[in-house]
Amino acid sequence: MAELNETIHQPVRLRIMAALVTLEAGNEVDFTYLRELLEVTDGNLGAHLHKLEDAGYIAVNKVFVERKPRTYVSATSEGRKVFKEHVTALESILKCK
Amino acid sequence: MTQKNDPMNVSVTEAEETLAAIQTIAQKTRYAIASGGTYITLIVTGVVWLVGFLSTQFLSGAIVASIWIGMSIVGSMAGILLGTRLGKRVRNPSFNATAKRAGIFWLLLVLYAVAALALARPTDGKQVTAFIILFIMIGQLAMGLLISFDAVWWALPITALALIGYFLLPGIFYLWMGVLGGGGMIAFGLYIRARW
Repeated sequence: MAELNETIHQPVRLRIMAALVTLEAGNEVDFTYLRELLEVTDGNLGAHLHKLEDAGYIAVNKVFVERKPRTYVSATSEGRKVFKEHVTALESILKCK
Repeated sequence: MTQKNDPMNVSVTEAEETLAAIQTIAQKTRYAIASGGTYITLIVTGVVWLVGFLSTQFLSGAIVASIWIGMSIVGSMAGILLGTRLGKRVRNPSFNATAKRAGIFWLLLVLYAVAALALARPTDGKQVTAFIILFIMIGQLAMGLLISFDAVWWALPITALALIGYFLLPGIFYLWMGVLGGGGMIAFGLYIRARW
């Protein structure tokens, strides 16, 4: 049976994962764009991304685009799997009511 | 570090709110990212069609060809610039290979269109235009099905408009395509942009 995941359940991290798993597999989103999308600060987003990266749920890719550093973020296959399980667990709570 | 909780620790209300939050952000992301390229393509192509077809309907001579060439160049440049800007937001590391294949596909499609026109020998400008629209929409459908499904839904009504205009309203075919085809694309593009 699917279980809730505390790392993902935190509101900002949950929204980060929801945004990233919505992208097609293999796609990565720019840090700045993700920050605007989620309406969070640089520091807040950075801290939560760090936790998700440590858990192995996201991959952070730092590259140079036109000689400027850019950070791209994507959900790993493990992250997608765990997020799906988390959603299933939430849905099971609703079914039990 | 991953920790697991007992689902019973989350109330039904909290679960509902969490699922709603997930749905909201997923919808927002899908809309912001997936529709980004679509609305830009629609508006740029719509402006090119609107100006080009209206000039074909109401003007004559070399000026019409010049307007089409000029609008196509401006439209292509705008599409590339806006597409590049969008590409920096969301990217796929393996996209370069796909883009190369897409480029080859469009090149071959142009060659096939030229071959089809040479074989069919259309008798007037409307037939040539209808042929070109059909080939462009075939390309758009193929790109939609292979790369992003967004392109599929608007290519079909444009194809239908072209066929209706050609067969039922030949006298105002260019006006029809300019106002409904080009204007429709602009309106759809602005609608998508506004909803984001």
